[in-house]
Amino acid sequence: MAGAQPVARRFGAVLPLLKGVVVLAAVLLAVELLVIAFDIRPYVLPRPSAVLEAILRTPAAYRDAMVRTGLETLLGFGAGALFGIWIGIAFSRLRFLRETIFPIFIVSQTIPVIAFGALVVMWFGNTILAKAVIVFYLTFFPVTVNALLGMRAVDEKQVQLLRSFGASDREIMRKLRFPTALPHIFVALRIASALGLAGAVVGEWFGDTTGLGVLLLQGMYAENMVAIWASILCSAVLGVAFFAAIGLAEKRIVFWGGESA
Amino acid sequence: MNMPMTHPSTMEPAMTPAEEPILDLRRLSKTFGEVQALNGVDLAVQPGEFVTVVGPSGCGKSTLFNIVAGLEEPDAGSVLRFEGQSVHARQLLGQVSFMPQRDLLLAWRNVIDNAILPLEIEGANKAEARAEAQRMLPEFGLAGFADKYPHELSGGMRQRVALMRTFMFKRDLMLLDEPFGALDALTRTMMQRWLLDVWQKHKRTVLFITHDVDEAIFLGDKVLVMTARPGAIKLSRKVDLPRPRGADLVTSPEFISLKRELLDAIEEESMKTFGPASH
Repeated sequence: MAGAQPVARRFGAVLPLLKGVVVLAAVLLAVELLVIAFDIRPYVLPRPSAVLEAILRTPAAYRDAMVRTGLETLLGFGAGALFGIWIGIAFSRLRFLRETIFPIFIVSQTIPVIAFGALVVMWFGNTILAKAVIVFYLTFFPVTVNALLGMRAVDEKQVQLLRSFGASDREIMRKLRFPTALPHIFVALRIASALGLAGAVVGEWFGDTTGLGVLLLQGMYAENMVAIWASILCSAVLGVAFFAAIGLAEKRIVFWGGESA
Repeated sequence: MNMPMTHPSTMEPAMTPAEEPILDLRRLSKTFGEVQALNGVDLAVQPGEFVTVVGPSGCGKSTLFNIVAGLEEPDAGSVLRFEGQSVHARQLLGQVSFMPQRDLLLAWRNVIDNAILPLEIEGANKAEARAEAQRMLPEFGLAGFADKYPHELSGGMRQRVALMRTFMFKRDLMLLDEPFGALDALTRTMMQRWLLDVWQKHKRTVLFITHDVDEAIFLGDKVLVMTARPGAIKLSRKVDLPRPRGADLVTSPEFISLKRELLDAIEEESMKTFGPASH
């Protein structure tokens, strides 16, 4: 009885992931059948089985690429999320900062990441740090905006209640504003994870030796359709994994469903 | 008519009029820009007293409470005395236990952790506060609900958690702003009787806002009627009905005649707001 509920709960968390895998398998099978049925040429659209085969032929190359790109994303995303939350808190508390720095942030986001990428590679060289910086640049902004939004969405009556208990601004931030902002922050984290992965892949185009972006580029130069699709598939798996991890964390942390009332 | 109140013997000895009021407001006014919300409120609450405030809607009741809770400063010239000292409203922050109309529970805290919120802010030991809250649960009809979250509770239960939070913030003066306003009639009656029980046990001073005259008489030692905006005290009536009070009280002749008098006063004030427009 006591053990039954946690097991059920764990299964409940895995269930959406399981459904996703099943749906993905079904889609791949459908594509496979379509390619065969309409006799589509491999250089237009290769059969999924051929793509999987290519991955299985050199698994180490794809694994290394995924680890590398995953690490770049994770580093940049982690730093971007923390910085975004931190600066969001600072903006919500200090009007001066909000009015001076925030517009600069917005302008910074109008620079296309491609233009920015060239600069970053000049600064940091062909290192993992360069990609992490690009991911960071793409990640922190949505997190900042949503953290700020979330903290300002707080119920003023709740603020008054805490003040009537004698709470300081810092306590109100910790016990009320930050938890209120959490659901908003998670929305941003989901968006940022997809953006961040794209940033890491694109970042590798500016020069690197491993990574999914590198594999994509090599496939393109070699006009190897199967290799391109294999890289795309690996990117998708990585993207889904990030998204699912954030979703899982959200379920545990924002268990009340994000409604403050 | 100045006989001591008829508290049961468990209460403190009956107070004498000479005793210093815990809260004493004189010529209290509050203006927001062009709008005058309060105009010369005079009000004194004795320690241990249960004072109810009724008035037409928009008469500045909530403004009055916000001032006493320390959230708003009154206009210059107002006198605000608390426990014998002349104070600024902001000095009352953390001194008065305030319960607003809505429960305002924090969605990410369970019943116990919502109830101990004010103690946590005071810097109390969390484990001890939780243990104390655990002991208080049955009295508030929340036994077995310690680990529930607000979204799992009914409106009446949420309100009881909010009341428990207010009681756990042990201050001599409690401000309750229409705590039962959003509840259905039956739940409300049960909560009123229950509140009287809890109040008699904890010996707190209560200032209670309501727009329900029955509720005001049923609960109060004294009922204050406010004027239409700008708010002031129009009428103050002692309620010399015996305690503990039961459900049958509301049909007694004394209750009815008092209700008549208070309703007349409120209606007169409501007419000032609505009268000219309706003719």
